[in-house]
Amino acid sequence: MTRLRRFDFVRLAALCGSGVALVALVALGAWLAIGSIAAFRHEGLSLFTGNDWGYRQESFGAAAMLYGTAVVSLVALILAAPIGIGTAIFASEICTRRVRLAIKMLVEILAGVPSVVYGLLGVLFLREWLYALFEKLGLDALSGDTILTAGTLLAVMILPTVATLTDDALQSVPSRVREASRGLGLTRAEATLFVILPQAIPSIGGALLLGLGRALGETIAVFLVVGRADNLLPENLASWRPLVDAGQTISSKLGGAETNIAVGDPLHSSAIVALAAILFGSVLVVTLAAEALRARAAKVMGR
Amino acid sequence: MRNAECGMRNDGGVRFSARSAEGSVAPGFSRGYARIPNDFAPHSGAGNGHPSCAAMRRDENLSFGQPPAEAGGYRSFAATRRGSARASDLRIDGRFVRTISAIVLSLLLSPLAFAATLRVNGSTTVNAVATEAAEVLRAEKKMAITVDTQGGSSGGISGVADHSIELGMSSKPISDDDRKKFSGVNFVSTMVGQDAVALVVSKDVWEGGVKSLSRQQARDIYEGKITNWKQVGGPDRRIVFFNKEPGRGTWEVFAHWLYGDPKKAPATSHREVGGNEEGRTKVASTKGAITQLSFAWAEGDARIHALGAKLDDGRVIVPSSSTIADHSYPMSRPLLFVTDGAPKGEAKVFLDFVLSPRGQSLVKKHGYLPLPIGPGAAGAK
Repeated sequence: MTRLRRFDFVRLAALCGSGVALVALVALGAWLAIGSIAAFRHEGLSLFTGNDWGYRQESFGAAAMLYGTAVVSLVALILAAPIGIGTAIFASEICTRRVRLAIKMLVEILAGVPSVVYGLLGVLFLREWLYALFEKLGLDALSGDTILTAGTLLAVMILPTVATLTDDALQSVPSRVREASRGLGLTRAEATLFVILPQAIPSIGGALLLGLGRALGETIAVFLVVGRADNLLPENLASWRPLVDAGQTISSKLGGAETNIAVGDPLHSSAIVALAAILFGSVLVVTLAAEALRARAAKVMGR
Repeated sequence: MRNAECGMRNDGGVRFSARSAEGSVAPGFSRGYARIPNDFAPHSGAGNGHPSCAAMRRDENLSFGQPPAEAGGYRSFAATRRGSARASDLRIDGRFVRTISAIVLSLLLSPLAFAATLRVNGSTTVNAVATEAAEVLRAEKKMAITVDTQGGSSGGISGVADHSIELGMSSKPISDDDRKKFSGVNFVSTMVGQDAVALVVSKDVWEGGVKSLSRQQARDIYEGKITNWKQVGGPDRRIVFFNKEPGRGTWEVFAHWLYGDPKKAPATSHREVGGNEEGRTKVASTKGAITQLSFAWAEGDARIHALGAKLDDGRVIVPSSSTIADHSYPMSRPLLFVTDGAPKGEAKVFLDFVLSPRGQSLVKKHGYLPLPIGPGAAGAK
């Protein structure tokens, strides 16, 4: 063990690789923080609370975008969670190993579909279907570009993440737990619902959070179907009416034309960088929380 | 069989859960299969405890008594990892050297390859012509050309300004603001054709009786003072305004007509659309919809209809090639290519082609107005 290695190429390469990743992360964070100083100076807290984004007026209140990002991601999570967890229970607890691996592979292929393809499907089909559905339901939706459309599309996109990680979570419940509960006379359904699922809850939470992290940052698919309407905040948060209205998320704003227009205008580009910093920060927090949950769960299970 | 399983496991395992407890517990054991540990175990002379199947397979190979000297380049690394210290283990064979040097060489040469590429970016309106011209030049002159539409006209202009592209496409004249913002850049625009911005509505609006809008009506719709088509003589349906995103040439021409200066346009909360295709698709599929669209894109699509512009004296001017050519339609606009300084090199070859009769026929083919020939021809602006 303590023998000196003369030329440990693999170790060196791994060290360099992870070093580069770490340095890049820190540098990116620092660059975003420094770049957004001007916008914070100009706007103060109203960067978060103001609802008056308009670069020609030099006002950069991003409240509607924060709202849009949060709601779109939550809608996606709420739609993806039951299906993803259901898929995982089916694959992990009901299927044979072979079928389980096949399902897992298919689900992960789903994760590999480029997001612009999802966006295209969203524009061509989902928009139209939901628009027709809204009409049928008598909802006064102006068009098919709504927060709900974006959330639904995102749900499909984060489904693989949620499903495959939940499957991992269920699999990491020790088999002795399964055996004990079956030995106590529980049916497979009972064992799954009341013993295995509760055991796996922290890791499933981690899986959902990682899904949320992916949803927060997803750009192009959301961009195409969310409507990109600035400064639309709902008057009544309790009603579900705002869901069928257009909105704007941070990522759809960053993916849009303003990033180009901001070139050469220090304040405007600083505001854009500030949006990026907010997005970066929230994805970082969510991902770290997810990893922490999963690590803790792994520790508990591993005992 | 075992290796195949490994591959599958790693697919899910390494990517998502390298830190989960899978390895140490091996659940599902009762179903009769062994799991490869995912966590990094400390090196322990023997071949177990390696993180990946690949490493494992390598070790198997080695432990079956193959002399390391016969092993390929990468295999000798595995041997190194195991800590068996024979000089031949560290031998780097010719294939390895060749691969590395090829990679290094291509990295070194890649800037040269990029330098020879003509990069074009900007307006989706001009893009229709540029894409076809690029295809012809790629085939006939073996030129390397990329054509993109990031950010529309303003994307083209800012790209030329920061030299990330050689040729910008713009469907609006370069404004004084642009020149002020990029004071170090000598924008030269070359006009290759003409187009107009049409206000385009969905079928139900057109059939409901809205055939034209005055400037005041358009402004009230844009500012949200008019929200229902019946207020302008149409059907009782709410107006869905798909606003071209800021920076698009189409939007600037529209705002110029309404306010005289795009900077005077108020902030609005309309849905936004980017390229022409997106605007057209969304208007066609939404009831009560209106958007600003390149006239050439509106023509020949039965799902949408271009409105006339009602002038202050009550005349209605319908956009058409003749009203665009004589500028009686108020939202006529030039199609431009923008360079920093006079076009030269590959960019000049490209522009010469677009201005040639063959290039001009492409302009015409896409529904735009080619440059007038003969006296009074509009040249570089």
